[in-house]
Amino acid sequence: MLHPAGAPLRDELLERCARGREAPLEAALADADFDALALRVFAFQFEANPPYAAYCRRRGATPATVTCAAAVPAVPTAAFQLLDLVCGEPATAEAVFRTSGTTRGPERRGRHFIPDLSLYEASLLPAFAAFVLPAGAAPTLLALVPPAAELPDSSLAYMIDHVVRSCGGPASRHLAGTGAGAAPGSDDDAAIDVAAFHAAAGAAEAGGDPVVLLGTALAFFHLLERLARDGRRYRLPDGSRIMDTGGFKGHRRAVSEAELRAAYEAVLGISQERVVNEYGMTELCSQLYDAGPRDGWREDDPARPRRKAGPPWIRTSVVDPETLAPLPPGQTGILRHHDLANLGSVAAVQTEDLGYAVPGGIVLLGRAPGAAPRGCSIAMDLLLGSDGAP
Amino acid sequence: VRPIDAWHLPGTDSDDAQWRIREYSGGVQLRFPVLGADRVHRQLAVLDAAGAALRATPLRRIVAAIDETARRLGDPDHPQRRALDAALPAVTGYSPAMVRLGLERMLDDWRAPALERLLRAELADPAALDGFVADPTTPGRQVRALGPRLAGHIFAGNVPGVAVQSLVRTLLVKAPAFGKTAAGEPLFPVCFARTLEEVEPALAAAIAIAHWPGGTLALEEPLLHAAELVIVYGGADAVAALRSRMPAHTRLVIHGPRLSFGVVGRDALRPGPARATARDVARAVAVFDQQGCVSPHLVYVEEGGDVAPADFAAMVGDALAALDAELPRGEIPARDASAVRGARDEAELAELAGHPVRLFPTDSARCAVIFDAQPRLRPSCLNRVLRVHPVPGLEAVADLVRPHRAVLQTAAHAGAGDRLPALAEALASAGVTRITAFADAPWPPVHGHHDGQEPLRELLRWVDLDDV
Repeated sequence: MLHPAGAPLRDELLERCARGREAPLEAALADADFDALALRVFAFQFEANPPYAAYCRRRGATPATVTCAAAVPAVPTAAFQLLDLVCGEPATAEAVFRTSGTTRGPERRGRHFIPDLSLYEASLLPAFAAFVLPAGAAPTLLALVPPAAELPDSSLAYMIDHVVRSCGGPASRHLAGTGAGAAPGSDDDAAIDVAAFHAAAGAAEAGGDPVVLLGTALAFFHLLERLARDGRRYRLPDGSRIMDTGGFKGHRRAVSEAELRAAYEAVLGISQERVVNEYGMTELCSQLYDAGPRDGWREDDPARPRRKAGPPWIRTSVVDPETLAPLPPGQTGILRHHDLANLGSVAAVQTEDLGYAVPGGIVLLGRAPGAAPRGCSIAMDLLLGSDGAP
Repeated sequence: VRPIDAWHLPGTDSDDAQWRIREYSGGVQLRFPVLGADRVHRQLAVLDAAGAALRATPLRRIVAAIDETARRLGDPDHPQRRALDAALPAVTGYSPAMVRLGLERMLDDWRAPALERLLRAELADPAALDGFVADPTTPGRQVRALGPRLAGHIFAGNVPGVAVQSLVRTLLVKAPAFGKTAAGEPLFPVCFARTLEEVEPALAAAIAIAHWPGGTLALEEPLLHAAELVIVYGGADAVAALRSRMPAHTRLVIHGPRLSFGVVGRDALRPGPARATARDVARAVAVFDQQGCVSPHLVYVEEGGDVAPADFAAMVGDALAALDAELPRGEIPARDASAVRGARDEAELAELAGHPVRLFPTDSARCAVIFDAQPRLRPSCLNRVLRVHPVPGLEAVADLVRPHRAVLQTAAHAGAGDRLPALAEALASAGVTRITAFADAPWPPVHGHHDGQEPLRELLRWVDLDDV
């Protein structure tokens, strides 16, 4: 449950998100309105989220001293591993999303308490519709991710589950999960019900109705591998799309984005102009997407590094990792997200993701947890493995 | 600005060669030839021919030539030194002050006194490099020491000068050498070879230096197959890849990834000495921005002294922040800066969450000293990020580092007092290969057993001549 003092802000944000369902998305919240709302959200979180308030006080930042959105202290993602960042009782949160274990070990999984899922859902739907769905359609959504009930920790599973139920046509379904052979509670990307995929893809090809495939890049990689082994190729109907997300971190079968997109076209008949890469974080309630497909590639080139954008209630900027000062467009730094849909936790989140700003969005360069040394000093990952420790 | 030529390929330059220019900050440009396998083959043939002259050169003349080369590079007006001063900071990313300090310390290592010390430390009679000499342990026997017919060097880019050090060693054992430079430091060995060329052209003709991206098989395979011995510096991936491609008969000397650390005992924690110790620790971390294999990642500080470990960490933090004026950290790419930021953030948040962690210095984000009461060994992300862990006594340290014995290298120490022999014995058995004062830690001596190895003997093949 959200701290009661946040109810008016939640209702206002819900109303803004609802406006986003009518195009254009950007009109739902003007820049100046974002700034004003951001300050009110900060004041609320400063009151309702004591560990965040302590973090802010160390920086001399209080609602009295912070006068613009850019000055709202952003918590590093590590904060979600170490502190209970929630506006309300953690025990009454409607959901707790957890990050996957990283090189820093399973004990360091981040937790994002979501006191009230309504805002998460309200933020998700209009942006998903705008960036991923073909205009004016309720196509069949096919998820290569298990249902949320099987992966209660996963924000991605929740997101995809929710759009499948809310935006998809009647034939929408999950093609992964225990039904496909995954162990209960595992997000095994290889456990895809390929027979069900053949049935759904065959039906779409025959009927001419577009489908939207949703999944991690790794799940798509496994699916494409299976289809190639079976010698099956599809030409999914015009208007069909792919939304992929995530990378191949720590996986030995890494392929490049370009290779993956070429395979989408060759095996599924979905050209790269119709592939939307999603950028989401467990620590955020809103998502960013490739903006090219939505904008008809007027400002972007599908083969070049892609511009990402999101709904107007999340503002992503690029800051200098050392000084945290905003960087001019084109200069590489770390991403700082200010997501007002994070009303129940902390709105401003500083990542270790590298990127640079371009007009109308940002270009993501990938995640950089722990840089590699240049020569004969030891690399962090190597040593963590050398004593068998996680 | 004219680009600086970053290769030394004597006898194979031709007018129709093609070049690639790489740009660095401040308008610095390096020019590299576009190489093909045929050029590498031709160069290997040239080196083979030059090897005869090198082997015929008396050792004292080689020492004198290296000494004179180092002397000239120490002259700020020498053109090659000017090239180094102008370009090395931009090329390596280290600050000009750091590059200058590194040059001065390393040039001393290549002067005659240091070289003679190295020869004496490694060889009972260095004249064995010139011809058969009596074996002092076996009457009637003579011995001769021969270097490889060709030495291949695969250099790393983290510390400028290490490549030259490696070339100096193969020169001393009269081995012609082909060095592949790293992208991070393709210049210093070239400037060294050019200066040597002025001093003793026949010696410089036995050295070839070129850069190509590591793993370029068409260029690397001929070198790996022609070399009798290959010396490789680098990270685990580079070393493993090379090892797998090595012909079975080729000898391999590996200087792979290492972890160094420090130990501070109570004797160094009295109020006065503690400040001085903290400054020494900070300097050992700051030199080459912690990128060296000898750079400490973490320091164990003994509890129960006048200054508590957390307070000592604060002193090191102050000293490290202050050093940024005298010996500034280099400008680092966003990826590395993000790692420093991540380490600082994590420490600050752990402290906020009530963990026994403290972050220093508080007034600069360009470095970090993280006091962490948990002794779990975690390597640093480097660029001046040090962890300080308390230990109840010095005798606890060996067990903490022993799980990583395969990669341990330097243990810097202070304040062990008369417990040093016992500490050294324990650290040696845990896998450490060098135990030294913090002030000396960044500068391994030229005659030291680097990585536990023998700098010259590991290059040699011995010939015994009995019954003379």
